[in-house]
Amino acid sequence: MDLLLQTLLNGLLIGGVIATFTIGFQLTFGVLHVIDFAVGGWVVLGGYLAYYMTALLKLDGFFAIPVAFLLFGAIGYLIGPILYNVRNSRTARPELMALALTFGLFTLLRGGMLTVWGFNTHTVPTALSGESLAVGPVTVPMIRVAAAVFAIVIAGGLFLFLYRTRYGLAIRATAENRQNAALMGVNIRRLSANVYGLYAGITAMAGVLMAAIFSVNPEIGLRYTLFAFFVAVLAGLGSVGGALVAALMLGVIEAFVSTYVGSSYSLLAIFATLFLVLLVSPRGILRRGL
Amino acid sequence: MNTATTSSPPSQSSDPILTVRDLFRQFGGIKAADGVNLEVGRCEIAGLIGPNGSGKSTLFSLVAGTVKPDSGQIRFDGREIAGMNAHRIARLGLARTFQIPAMFDNMTVTENLLAAAAQGHWHGAKDRAAETLSLLKLDQVAQNRASDLSGGQQKLLEFGRVVMRQASLILLDEVTAGVHPNIRKIILDAIARLRERGISFFIIEHDMEMVRNVCDRIIVMDAGRVVTSGAFEDIVRDSEVMQTYLGRPQ
Amino acid sequence: MKSHWADLIILVVVVVVLALLPVLVNNYWLRIATGALMWAGLACSWNMLGGYAGYINFGQSAFFGLGAYTTALLMGDPINLPFFATIPAGIAVTAICAIIIGAPTLRLRGAYFAIATWAFAEALTQFANVMDFTGGIGGLNLPPFLNERFFYFTMSGAAVLTYLVTWALFEHSRFGLKVKALRDHEPAAEAMGINTSLVKLQTFVLSAVTAAVFGAIFAYWVTFINPKSVFGGDITDQMVVMVLLGGLGSLRGPAIGGIGLFVVSRLIWMRWGDTAFYIAILGAAIVLVVLFLPNGIAGLFARRPAKSVTVLDKAAGKLAGTGEGGRN
Repeated sequence: MDLLLQTLLNGLLIGGVIATFTIGFQLTFGVLHVIDFAVGGWVVLGGYLAYYMTALLKLDGFFAIPVAFLLFGAIGYLIGPILYNVRNSRTARPELMALALTFGLFTLLRGGMLTVWGFNTHTVPTALSGESLAVGPVTVPMIRVAAAVFAIVIAGGLFLFLYRTRYGLAIRATAENRQNAALMGVNIRRLSANVYGLYAGITAMAGVLMAAIFSVNPEIGLRYTLFAFFVAVLAGLGSVGGALVAALMLGVIEAFVSTYVGSSYSLLAIFATLFLVLLVSPRGILRRGL
Repeated sequence: MNTATTSSPPSQSSDPILTVRDLFRQFGGIKAADGVNLEVGRCEIAGLIGPNGSGKSTLFSLVAGTVKPDSGQIRFDGREIAGMNAHRIARLGLARTFQIPAMFDNMTVTENLLAAAAQGHWHGAKDRAAETLSLLKLDQVAQNRASDLSGGQQKLLEFGRVVMRQASLILLDEVTAGVHPNIRKIILDAIARLRERGISFFIIEHDMEMVRNVCDRIIVMDAGRVVTSGAFEDIVRDSEVMQTYLGRPQ
Repeated sequence: MKSHWADLIILVVVVVVLALLPVLVNNYWLRIATGALMWAGLACSWNMLGGYAGYINFGQSAFFGLGAYTTALLMGDPINLPFFATIPAGIAVTAICAIIIGAPTLRLRGAYFAIATWAFAEALTQFANVMDFTGGIGGLNLPPFLNERFFYFTMSGAAVLTYLVTWALFEHSRFGLKVKALRDHEPAAEAMGINTSLVKLQTFVLSAVTAAVFGAIFAYWVTFINPKSVFGGDITDQMVVMVLLGGLGSLRGPAIGGIGLFVVSRLIWMRWGDTAFYIAILGAAIVLVVLFLPNGIAGLFARRPAKSVTVLDKAAGKLAGTGEGGRN
């Protein structure tokens, strides 16, 4: 029973962190109409930033969070318009070309990181590493709690931004219907830059947390891309609200399979679930996908 | 130019080619089709007019199967087609153009025409494509990519694809909007010639001059309903209709 | 027709060159030629769906691997079928899988299909990793058959057949017109009576089955396979790069890209060995081609270079909502 609770709690905490970057992933799809294969690449880059800040500058891992946001937010801000241009170019197959571009970017990031940093796995120490919190019969690592709290703040902030500000309204309007948004005077090109920047920044921050909780190596990016896809498919591509629920579900599924079946089966279980959802209900279990 | 005939209005005929009964379709809260009833007779050229957003293009999409109705009946050539897939309706002999020219951008002009014949009447398609090219005066650009054509030429090409379908009913959505008078004349002549072969037309049009010259009968739509229908002169005489629904006194 | 004669001449030249090659080069280079032919064929198989129908498949390695594993399992110990008898079985298994994945997802946006195929390939990799009958991570051995010429000619036959089928089906038939029409404007294709869902599925199955045949030959050729060597994502990556580099939706593109990139990869391998740097090169190649050479190398030699609007020309940033016509 304790193990069950422990597993459930662990899963929910990790699911919270996954939610932060999948919400951004969904927004990006809504605004740019591109699924971003590179999402796992941003997570890993955030993790490596944290690793180098702790290893070389001897700073606490948490200092990497704002740096990751600013650095990768800026890089994303520069990449966003390129993606937008490819997606809306008059070349033969814009949707396919944009997809290929993010796929190429992901492959480039993975190959580049493997070349520079090799296959080794690194950890990111923080002030909370090694501490744990006892909640009744179960104990959870303090770092996971902190990460989940942080994730709630980020996700909450995003939702407030989307639903309580004019700019958030513009983003949602664009995600819903680009033609109408353009008619209403939204500059979708600039919006794309901002949204991709925001998303890349948040994703890199999530990467810092993931590296602090687990560890980081270049091959792990594939796993996070899978997570984002899983959440997107479960929630329906572009559905932001559904992403939160789906991310928590993913965290729980992962935790249970790892604990009760074996961690070598967890990827297989995720793939299989993803696949079944695509077959049975391709627009997401909430049928809200674009 | 004036192709209107003096024969009795085909809508009185016992067997119209297209019959729409109580057709409903909502998008969110907007009633795009709010109980549409209308008929298009055999060999008739029926014009569909009405203000922007009155549901004309949606009606075309409902008839062609691109959009599924919430309820109602659509009979085409003696068959119930409401809710049928677009490609099955097309195979029964219905062809349409799109409001925004729907080019096969990366194919040549000739390939665009051949693609229209790829399902169904393939025999002799190459000869018919050549014929259509010269009919529409597109010979010069036959080997160009469709995306390289001017807007007017794209309208022509889309019309040409419809011709290639060998359909019995053709839906034209603003096929002459914004095109050069020369190109318009080519299209109008082709419509007249096709009608002589027994093909019916259902046409969305904003240009009153064209409506007057081409259509046997006018159907007026507003807010997802058919308001009235009749001969052009009768509709124009009813100045209330003109002002309310077309917003431009004649 | 004139163009048919030109194509026929090319075919004759290719067949003559392929027939003479074993006499001209040693076994080492014959192996490289065999590999180049395989990649040219695989690139062509990916191009059937990606280039002609406009659906991007990020899991083509799944079908390559299914062909390879089917052959390995059927030639292996309890069953011991002869090599050529295993190919129809691989085709059947692959076709069934392709229908199961394609039927629901090809109706939706291309993005769902891309995710589904990618997930399928990764799932198969994991599956083969943990199962006993596939030999787990260790993989499977096949009965060795060390005859370079046999594999060279088998691979040549498969590659030539692949290109002939593509030529006939996609470039010179009604079927090809339907496929290209649905790629360019799906609602308009539907309005012309084309059952787009069916045509897409047919194309996908043909593409998958072609990859499976090459997988079967590959397994017998290398006599040892494991999940990474036949299901690995790098295999799909390579196909995508080859087609994009050569030119999407053309007959020559995949041949140019496939043979060219394979030879380059061998040269890199000879000089630096197995290096992660190659993955980075693949990624960079995709990015650069998408940005600067959207019509690929074949596009450079097109009869009349189409008005190719590269991305940077578009920096002015046009209003959105164009280029949306296709699927939803």
